[in-house]
Amino acid sequence: MHIPDGYISPQTAGGLWALMVPVWYTAGYKAKRLLKARQAPLVAIGAAFTFVIMMFNIPVPGGTTGHAIGGTLVAVVLGPWTAVIALTVALVIQALFFGDGGLLALGANCLNIGFAMPVAGYYVYRVFSLGAAPGSARQWLAAGVGAYAGINVAAFLTAVQIGIQGDFFQTAAGAALYSPYGLSQAVPAMMAAHLTLVGFVEAAVTSLVVLYLQRTNPGLLLAAAESKKARAGGQRLKPLAIGLLLMIVFVPLGLLASAPAWGEWGPEEIREELGFIPEGMERFAGLWSGILPDYALPGDGGEPWAGVAAYVFSAILGLGIVSLLTYVIVRLTAGKDVRK
Amino acid sequence: MAEAGLSIPEWMRKKPIDAGVSRNGRRRRTSVVERTISGLSEALRSSIFSERIAARPGLLQRIDPRIKILGFLTLLIAIGLIHSPFILLGLYAGTVLLAAMSRISPGYFVKRVWLFIPLFTGVIVLPSLFNIIRPGDPLVTLWDFGRDVHLGPWLLGDSLAVTRQGATGAVIFVLRVAASVSLAVLLTLSTRWPDLLKALRVFHVPRVFVLIISMTYRYIFLLLGLATDMFTARRSRLAGVSTPREDRRFVTGSMGALLGKSQALGEEVYAAMVSRGYSGEPRTLNRFSLAGRDLVFAACVAILAVAVIGGDRIIG
Amino acid sequence: MAENNQVGGPAIGEGNAVYEVSSVSYSYEETGALDDVTFEVKAGESLALLGANGSGKSTLLKMMNALIFPSSGSVRAFGEELSEESLQDEGFSLAFRRRVGFVFQNSDAQLFSPSVWEEIAFGPLHLELEPGEVEERVEATVHILGLEHLRDRPPFHLSSGEKKKVALASVLAISPEVLLLDEPTAGLDPKTAGFLARLTVQLAAAGKTVITATQDLALAKEVAGRAIVLGEDHRTAGDGPAARILGNRELLLSANLIHDHPHSHAGMEHYHPHSHLEEHHHGDEH
Ligand SMILES: Nc1ncnc2c1ncn2[C@@H]1O[C@H](COP(=O)(O)OP(=O)(O)O)[C@@H](O)[C@H]1O
Ligand SMILES: [Mg+2]
Repeated sequence: MHIPDGYISPQTAGGLWALMVPVWYTAGYKAKRLLKARQAPLVAIGAAFTFVIMMFNIPVPGGTTGHAIGGTLVAVVLGPWTAVIALTVALVIQALFFGDGGLLALGANCLNIGFAMPVAGYYVYRVFSLGAAPGSARQWLAAGVGAYAGINVAAFLTAVQIGIQGDFFQTAAGAALYSPYGLSQAVPAMMAAHLTLVGFVEAAVTSLVVLYLQRTNPGLLLAAAESKKARAGGQRLKPLAIGLLLMIVFVPLGLLASAPAWGEWGPEEIREELGFIPEGMERFAGLWSGILPDYALPGDGGEPWAGVAAYVFSAILGLGIVSLLTYVIVRLTAGKDVRK
Repeated sequence: MAEAGLSIPEWMRKKPIDAGVSRNGRRRRTSVVERTISGLSEALRSSIFSERIAARPGLLQRIDPRIKILGFLTLLIAIGLIHSPFILLGLYAGTVLLAAMSRISPGYFVKRVWLFIPLFTGVIVLPSLFNIIRPGDPLVTLWDFGRDVHLGPWLLGDSLAVTRQGATGAVIFVLRVAASVSLAVLLTLSTRWPDLLKALRVFHVPRVFVLIISMTYRYIFLLLGLATDMFTARRSRLAGVSTPREDRRFVTGSMGALLGKSQALGEEVYAAMVSRGYSGEPRTLNRFSLAGRDLVFAACVAILAVAVIGGDRIIG
Repeated sequence: MAENNQVGGPAIGEGNAVYEVSSVSYSYEETGALDDVTFEVKAGESLALLGANGSGKSTLLKMMNALIFPSSGSVRAFGEELSEESLQDEGFSLAFRRRVGFVFQNSDAQLFSPSVWEEIAFGPLHLELEPGEVEERVEATVHILGLEHLRDRPPFHLSSGEKKKVALASVLAISPEVLLLDEPTAGLDPKTAGFLARLTVQLAAAGKTVITATQDLALAKEVAGRAIVLGEDHRTAGDGPAARILGNRELLLSANLIHDHPHSHAGMEHYHPHSHLEEHHHGDEH
């Protein structure tokens, strides 16, 4: 699921880097406190662990093998924020020291695999294991469900990021500049694979490891729960929430401003390019009007607005998911404060 | 406690069951265990190999890592913005040349780069050549249906053809990916990782992160070793075949065991750091200094980036 | 190397108590690791801590390095009690860490830096030495241990003997007065083990207080003037001059440090756990 360099445009990659800044800011803040709390080596070990298990081959029915990412597993053991740091570190090392996964695309990979996956996975796990006794069947089942959800959220974000390349970045003649598949192709293809096979591999691996830990090392599973208790929530999430909101407003605007500017320089070329995009986008016309009926999207493909609107739409679609996740986090953490 | 009473049970004295060695002509399929071992040891080997390359006195090895990272990021962005396949090809060739000048055998370099991602990219880009996936002007028509063909709700069109746009896009895409991956691999191969790590400080990556990254990198090798041991032990006990079900149990079991060992180790490491004065605030010595050649390199990169982007706009 | 960092605390002269361990017990969750252990260590003393696997040697050293704290009883170092609270004090903690160095049993846990050079610099840097002095010390330590050819290598790609040397170097660069060595020769080839043994003797001769936990009786005999035996019940089974303890066959047998038979005599003059140790006594021991 790692996006290599060259698959997404520098503009998209830059936007996603920017989006990660508030996440890293929060994670960095927490990392400082974690270090005091004896957890620095634990984070490092967690990261190394994810890195190594990504290399394990897992037999899947049908005779082939797959890989797990373990994002949710790490979150279940270390807690979601520590997992964000651990996964980010693992991704940085893969990109920087092993040339695996892009450098420009690192922001995107960190958003999908390092942030969305463990956080979504963890909270789904929390919901499903609410009130479940440690060591119970519901606990490992919930971990599997969380892992399934986590990897699918990550896959969806990845597909959206790749899909907008095929739809919006092309030469004047209509040749793709980056990944050639549009949203209508990338999303179904990616989701078909992840909702069926890959998601279940991740779920099975997570469940089995949690089951193993329940039997052999239950303390590890409790560690996350206990260290959560010690943490003060709420307040710390504010900068993250605000940062994300700002990004949701500004990143699409920034992309809008930059995409045509980087595209072709002369006004003629701009018109030529924008004249093409809507043609390629016609497949989406129905989808847009379904979801955004109040926005008057032009039926005539020649108007520049169509491309722009489509662009904003897909950017917001991706960012909306992230904000939804943030909302979930804030809600869950806030709920805990009240109890305290 | 003397082992006076230790006696070997009868079954242990016997020859192993079916001790005769005979071939039965059946090949053992390479198991998951074996594939994982070779994957793990490959990672170890390639990192030790990279370390050796990074110690060679080549061109890139002599550039200050901070300048190198900044320069390579600039080049990556430039590569990202190019539209012309010819310029992309030129840039790709440039990375091979840089590899050669940095005492990295071009054969090894090209193989390592292509086996990684570009080859995979080349395969997944194939469908986009056809008009039924991406509309465009037909270049080679493979099959004229004679009428509009529908597949369920989808309109496929009236012919199956490779399009000019599809072919151009595929070439641009694969070349861009190849050039980008080449740059990343060059950076990895030509820089000793402690230097790369310290260079991260230039980008205001907090010290804490740098510390965690460095420890993680170190633990990856420890865990790779542990994991290899576990898998090797499993292989040596497994004469025959194991079912996928058993393999799955084993693989997830070893993940769990690894996690447990990791945690115990993590606590020990923290103790070792505290013992030598660590109190939550990492400190480092900065031993970098910029030389003339670093500035020349930076200038070359800047000129190249502007030239290729400008050139691309003129051609395009 | 002989330079001392006497920051805080009373000046330590030959003969003063560096450590006072009184009635210390410790357990990890359910497992007991130490039970009512009491002893004193004088400055400049060279002490061997003998005991079978699991007798509590590592636990005791970690406690003496203030990494864990007793469940009951107390450990005083340089006259100050070691507790979570006293170690919270920045001044005391800095002074204590500068004065006591600990070489872990598991080198893999101790080596976490990206290169050998940085590994050795870690201690001096974090103990707030001037950058110039840090470099000087690292260079000197690298030279003493003959690690020049490894200085830019990552410590984890080294052999286990090299790792142990780097771990020792990383502690020696701090130049502590007290050295806690946890099984320094375990798993090493005889040549490296011999090198470390000689180095330990030299450090002790230079006035360092050296406390070596080991099961290697030959090493204990070579480096220590005094020995404490921890029994398998986690209690002190013996305490006295090394020669006398190492000559007490009954004691060593009961602590599971030697076994009756079979044993080999061939070519093992220095690794020869028997009651006739005196026969090959080296006059240079103290
Ligand atoms: N981190 C730990 N958690 C639980 N038990 C431990 C831990 N470390 C040591 N022990 C137990 O404490 C006892 C003493 O261990 P240790 O001090 O390591 O002995 P030695 O160093 O003499 O081999 C042993 O029974 C061991 O299993
Ligand atoms: Mg021990």
